Amino acid sequence: MATYNTNEFRSGLKLMIDGDPYAIVENEVVKPGKGQAFNRIKVKNLKTGRVVERTYKSGESVEAADVMDTELQYLYNDGEQWHFMHPETFEQIAADKAAVGDVEKWLKEQDMCTITLWNGNPLVVTPPNFVTLTVTDTDPGLKGDTSGGGGKPATMETRAVVQVPLFVQIGEELKIDTRTGKYVSRAKD
Amino acid sequence: MNNWQPVASPELIKLRAQTLKKIRFFFEQHNVLEVDTPVLSSATITDPFVESFQTDYFPLTRRIEDTHYYLHTSPEFAMKRLLAAGSGSIYQIAKVFRQGELSQRHNPEFTLLEWYREGWDHHQLMVEIDQLLTLLIAEYLPLAESCFISYQQAFEKYLHINPHTADLNELMACARAQQLDNVLDKTDPKDRYLELLFSHCIEPFLGKPEQGNAEQTGQAQLCFLYHYPATQASLARITETNGVPVAERFEIFINGMELGNGFHELNNAQEQRERFIHDNEQRKQNGQQTVPLDEHFLAALETLPDCAGVAIGIERLLMAMSGSRHINDVINFPFERA
Repeated sequence: MATYNTNEFRSGLKLMIDGDPYAIVENEVVKPGKGQAFNRIKVKNLKTGRVVERTYKSGESVEAADVMDTELQYLYNDGEQWHFMHPETFEQIAADKAAVGDVEKWLKEQDMCTITLWNGNPLVVTPPNFVTLTVTDTDPGLKGDTSGGGGKPATMETRAVVQVPLFVQIGEELKIDTRTGKYVSRAKD
Repeated sequence: MNNWQPVASPELIKLRAQTLKKIRFFFEQHNVLEVDTPVLSSATITDPFVESFQTDYFPLTRRIEDTHYYLHTSPEFAMKRLLAAGSGSIYQIAKVFRQGELSQRHNPEFTLLEWYREGWDHHQLMVEIDQLLTLLIAEYLPLAESCFISYQQAFEKYLHINPHTADLNELMACARAQQLDNVLDKTDPKDRYLELLFSHCIEPFLGKPEQGNAEQTGQAQLCFLYHYPATQASLARITETNGVPVAERFEIFINGMELGNGFHELNNAQEQRERFIHDNEQRKQNGQQTVPLDEHFLAALETLPDCAGVAIGIERLLMAMSGSRHINDVINFPFERA
C-alpha cells in the first residue's frame, strides 16, 4: 500500500479517505510554538466533487489513492456506456454514467477528453475546455438582427442547450466553453 | 528556472529595516541593553516539539575529536545566563533555527526579538509588549483595544469547557463535536487534545475584534492569552489560581496568528532540571533523539533574578503589518531560495 507522509502534502496529491479517492485542494500546517503540529487540509472527493476539511497529526502517513489522468479519444455511446480509446495504443476503456455525469452533453465523437482513472477504472470524464458543436435546432429569430443584444436557446448536436445570440442559425458550428456552458463564438472555418 | 531574486518586495525590505530601527530606539528609550549571544551551543532545548539543527566542530588539521553543536532555537538560555551574571534588563534581535518548521507561517531560519525585564512579572511585561507592538503595528493596521484573556476563559468562551478540569473523555467528546475525531489516538495525553482544540477552534479567532463596526473597518487586535496549563509550563513558573495550578506563561496573537510567547521565568534550577529530564523521557517514548541538558543554563538559574521574558517572531510581525498571507513574502531569500 503506497502512502504519503504529511510532509509530502501539497495541492493535487491524491489520498484515500474513508474508502474514497480525494485530491488535496489546500494544505495548511498548524504548529503552536510549543506543541503538536497538525496538517489541516481541504480535500475534494473525486467521486462527488464535495470539498471537506480534514486534520492529521504531522508526521503521520495517509494511504495514497491510485488515481491518474489520461488523454483519451471519445468514440461512441452504446446506450449504457461511453467508449474511449488511447490514440496510440488503441486500447479502449468504457465509462459508465456515474463517471460521465453531466458531461455527457459535451461529448462529441473524436474529441480528446481527460479520463481520471482510479485503480484503472474511469472515475471522472472531463471534456476539452472548448468544443465545437453544430446547431440542430433554434428559433429562426428576426432576420437581419446582428446587434447581439439578447439571446435565445439553441440545441446542439450533442443535445446540449446553449444560450446563443439571435443571429445564430440551424446548421452553424459554434465554439462553446464546457466549463461555463456558455457560447464563445462562431467556429472559424 | 533559477530563483536567485529576493521574494520580499522593496517595500517590505524597507519595512523590516524601519521596524528594527524603531525597536532599537524603543529599547534605548526604556534603558534595555542590546546583547549578543552565540548561535552555536553545545546543548539545546529539550522540548519534544522543538527540534534543533545539529552540526559538528572539528580542528582544521585533524578530523578526530569532533564535538557536537546545536544551532539555537532561541537565545533564551544564554540571555538568562547574562541576567544571572547581573546584566539587568536586556534584549536581542537574533536569527534562530528550528528543524522541520516549514509552512506558510514558518521558515526554518527566522528572526526573534527576545527581551527580559528584571524584577517584573508577566503581567507587567505584557503591558510593555502591548505598548511596543501597538507602536509598531498601528501605523499600518488599525488596531482595536487590546484583549487580555486567560487560557481558561478562551476555552470557556469558544468551546464551553474548562481546560484545567476537563478529563480526557470530555476533551474527546469536545473534539468529536468539532468534527476533529480520528485525528488523535486514545493513547494521546490530554495536552495533545488541548493543542488540537486550541489550534483549530480558538487560535483562528484570537486577535480579531468582535463582530460589528471593528470588523467592517478592517481592524485587528492584539490578544494576550495567559495562564496555560501547568503541563505546558516549559520555562515558566507555576502558580495556583482558584485552586488550579497554572503556568505563568502567555502568548500573543493578532488576526488568528501567534506572534510570540513569554514567561514569568522559573528560577528554580531543580524544578527546571526535572522538567528537562521529563522532556527527554517523552522524547525517548516518541522515538526522538534525547538532547544533552544545558548545564551552564541550569547552573545560572541558581542566581537568576526575578524576571519576565518574551520572544516575538519578527517575520510574523512583518506579516501582520503588511497583511502578507505567506511568510515568504517578508523574507528576502526564504528557505527554498536560501
